Amino acid sequence: MTDVPVSRIRNFSIIAHIDHGKSTLADRMLQVTKTVAQREMKEQFLDNMDLERERGITIKLQAARMNYTAKDGEEYVLNLIDTPGHVDFSYEVSRSLAACEGALLVVDSSQGVEAQTLANVYLAIENELEVIPVLNKIDLPGSEPERVASEIEEVVGLDCTDIIKASAKAGIGVDDILESIVQKVPPPEDTVDKPLRALIFDSYYDAYRGVIVYFRVMDGEVKKGDKVRLMASGKEYEIDELGVLSPNQIEIDELHAGEVGYFAAAIKTVEDARVGDTITLVQTPAEEPLPGYTEAKPMVFCGLFPTDSDQYSDLKDALEKLKLNDAALSYEPETSSAMGFGFRCGFLGLLHMEIVQERLEREYNLELITTAPSVIYRVTTTEDEVLEIDNPSLLPDPQKRTKIEEPYIKVEIITPENFVGTLMELCQTCRGEFKDMKYFTLNRTCLIYELPLAEVVTDFFDRMKSRSRGYASMEYQLIGYRENTLVKLDVLVNKDKVDALSTIVHRDKAYYVGRALTEKLKELIPRHQFKVPIQASIGAKVIASEHIPALRKDVLAKCYGGDISRKKKLLQKQAKGKKRMKAIGTVDVPQEAFMAVLKIDS
Amino acid sequence: MIYHNPTAAYIHIPFCRRRCYYCDFAISVVGDAPLQNSSTMVADYVDHLCQEIKLTAIKNEPLQTIFFGGGTPSLLPVDKLATILTTIKQYLGIASNAEISLEIDPGTFDKKQLQEYLSLGINRVSLGVQTFDSKLLEICGRTHNVKDIFTAIDLIKQANIKNFSIDLITGLPHQTIEHCQHSLETAIKIAPPHISCYDLVLEPVTAFGKQYQPGETPLPTDETTRKMYQLTQQLLTQQGYQHYEISNYAQTGYQCRHNRIYWENKYYYGFGMSAASYFNDLRFNRPGTRKTYYDWVQKGAIINVPNLTKNDYLLETLMLGLRLVEGVSLSQIAKNFGEQTKANILTCLKPYSEQNLVVLENQKGETRLKLIDPEGFLISNTILATLFEKLEV
Repeated sequence: MTDVPVSRIRNFSIIAHIDHGKSTLADRMLQVTKTVAQREMKEQFLDNMDLERERGITIKLQAARMNYTAKDGEEYVLNLIDTPGHVDFSYEVSRSLAACEGALLVVDSSQGVEAQTLANVYLAIENELEVIPVLNKIDLPGSEPERVASEIEEVVGLDCTDIIKASAKAGIGVDDILESIVQKVPPPEDTVDKPLRALIFDSYYDAYRGVIVYFRVMDGEVKKGDKVRLMASGKEYEIDELGVLSPNQIEIDELHAGEVGYFAAAIKTVEDARVGDTITLVQTPAEEPLPGYTEAKPMVFCGLFPTDSDQYSDLKDALEKLKLNDAALSYEPETSSAMGFGFRCGFLGLLHMEIVQERLEREYNLELITTAPSVIYRVTTTEDEVLEIDNPSLLPDPQKRTKIEEPYIKVEIITPENFVGTLMELCQTCRGEFKDMKYFTLNRTCLIYELPLAEVVTDFFDRMKSRSRGYASMEYQLIGYRENTLVKLDVLVNKDKVDALSTIVHRDKAYYVGRALTEKLKELIPRHQFKVPIQASIGAKVIASEHIPALRKDVLAKCYGGDISRKKKLLQKQAKGKKRMKAIGTVDVPQEAFMAVLKIDS
Repeated sequence: MIYHNPTAAYIHIPFCRRRCYYCDFAISVVGDAPLQNSSTMVADYVDHLCQEIKLTAIKNEPLQTIFFGGGTPSLLPVDKLATILTTIKQYLGIASNAEISLEIDPGTFDKKQLQEYLSLGINRVSLGVQTFDSKLLEICGRTHNVKDIFTAIDLIKQANIKNFSIDLITGLPHQTIEHCQHSLETAIKIAPPHISCYDLVLEPVTAFGKQYQPGETPLPTDETTRKMYQLTQQLLTQQGYQHYEISNYAQTGYQCRHNRIYWENKYYYGFGMSAASYFNDLRFNRPGTRKTYYDWVQKGAIINVPNLTKNDYLLETLMLGLRLVEGVSLSQIAKNFGEQTKANILTCLKPYSEQNLVVLENQKGETRLKLIDPEGFLISNTILATLFEKLEV
């Protein structure tokens, strides 16, 4: 690596909606700049996790340094800082944008601007980034570059006269993009003489080297062997290894203002080197940390229980390991009378929850039962104490509390106009308060609602997608707590209260939810040899009840001609199903039942 | 594990006039005209079948039981049946007191044909009646009516075939308890020494499977079919039939020796398309169409499947043995699989024994585990699934 003057460094990220081609474009840039040799190229190089590649989304961000010889004959260093593409990770997005001077806004020219893109573009503009609009997928038959370009002009307010028309897949326009990064994105400020300040935009845990911290040097310089302090955590480390990402790690002796790199310093957990923290030198520290640091806090909670109680300690180990790499994940032991020992886990959002759950099952071979997601309720007791309750079963009794507050979010939904009616109806049923409606273009309307977060962490997103036939997109941010008339709805299976099925609902919806929930459970819980009553109650009052009739006959009459294979398979399937169930008293309850509250159609 | 040659053989004769609406067996529909001896289809089939027997057989002990099932074996011209039996005799041997069963359908045979069967050594026939209600026969897509059944019974009696069985089905669409009772009472009057009574299994690929939803009208509810099962058990045992297997009843000395081989988890040959065999620790199902079966025979009739594991053997012993009224020998299981396995079985069956659905019996120093008739039989799948859940490795 040669030492490059600051004037020839460009730091940029890519803003795009899921499926609009961000990863493909990043891959293509790596190829064109010969950063990654053709033979090493696998699809979507920057998406490291299997899960990411499978789902085609970026969860953990990555970075890559490319050398590019521009038309002016000079060699430039282009640092691509990739951003995670999901609303759950908007804080990470804001930090990686803060590490850049420019951003490519990639929009699918057959689709248009989506809510998530819009939110991130605004974030980029707030961070004073130069935004370069790019129309992707222009080789597709349904591409409408003119319409989408004028949409970007109207909605985002960007000048699109010189908009780049590209197809990352077909390799069209990639050179134009690289050239315009050099031309339009300003170089970083030359502040190499100031005391060191470097921004952490990502970190991950490596079993051999400890936490690997990805950072951008904002001021000053950093060398291998330097003693550094992380200004928010206050921890101090000596840098063992310093390098750049190309995108594989290449060691280097020093990095100066404007550059992007990584270091390792025997840091034990990513919690000690959180995204957004500022790195400075112990010897000559900076006075002020970089602005914008907050701790990413979990917003959604659920219980994770092993189906087989012998796996409790395996689950604990697995969570510990994941936590090393995921500062936003929280967990603490939970004991449920119905489910036994498990953990109450906190996540940034539903996707984060799903990812963790899937990784636990896939990478750690655990069989888990997940309870329905909950939010943090703020409960004021009669003693004027304020409790934060993330587990519905722990809600104090009505006579011991004076009020319950719940988190609210502001939701922006961008949708074609013809779905406005049905989406407004959806927001209304989810206790939404209408705030505003903006007409971006003929085809794009933006709905703004304030909604209780609890309504959104169920299946709001899926329902929005299905009501809009996949066209609507959404973005949300937390806006604070509001008091509501909330009650705890308990569920009794065979007369036993199942704490893991308790849920907090608005009083006005309690009867409906109670009825729908018992009906759903009746469908999901298999028949037993005895009749199983299922009841929903508020306090001691039963508000809905159903019963699962007894299974009185379960016999295979015939094993014809000695062909027993089919019967055996059937029994094996039946046995496998039983294995995945949780015994509550004498009733076997399948995993899906604990998510039943999400399956209610309202 | 057991190492010996099978002494039982199942022979599959796939031809049927039509496909009944509940049937998903491997059959070849030939229409209503009688099959001619000159039919190349039949000749080809019998050739390949005999070829398979020659390729497979290791002459050791002569066969104790032979079962011709189908399809409709009574559609097969008698001299073709003779060819098969001659081949079996030559390559496998047939014990002098062997049980040789043949499935026959009403309307597919006459007196002469039955006499010819007897002279070939067939000594047991199983008549596919299904129900004595003409409307229900029609609903099932059977090719015969009630009158044909009575004719068939008369022919069997005239031919003086003592060892015969009647097949019945319960749980048919539109079938009521009264229908079921009528069929049972009619069967009792005929007084066959053996009666099989099967509860309908709704197979997805059948006409019934496509037309009906399990438990929904016109299919009777589980509650109704449960009552049919109990009624069958009650009426037939009152008449001196022993309920010796989940779906089978017999007068003393008339249990089907061949079918018991399956339930006792013993070895048997299987010949013909789709036939299942079990020997040398291998369970194998032959290809299920004539073409694929012929190809397989022409390539040497090679059984190429993984060996069963000890665990397979345990699960199969339980799954099959618990179909029999005398259940399985826990002493034998402890001997073969260890005391711990026996203890595990007892632990997971505890809730069922508390409900009086399974029972342990000690006789002659041997502990046997059995399902209670009829309550235990009625939920045998649930009980077996519990065993599978705990014992499967």
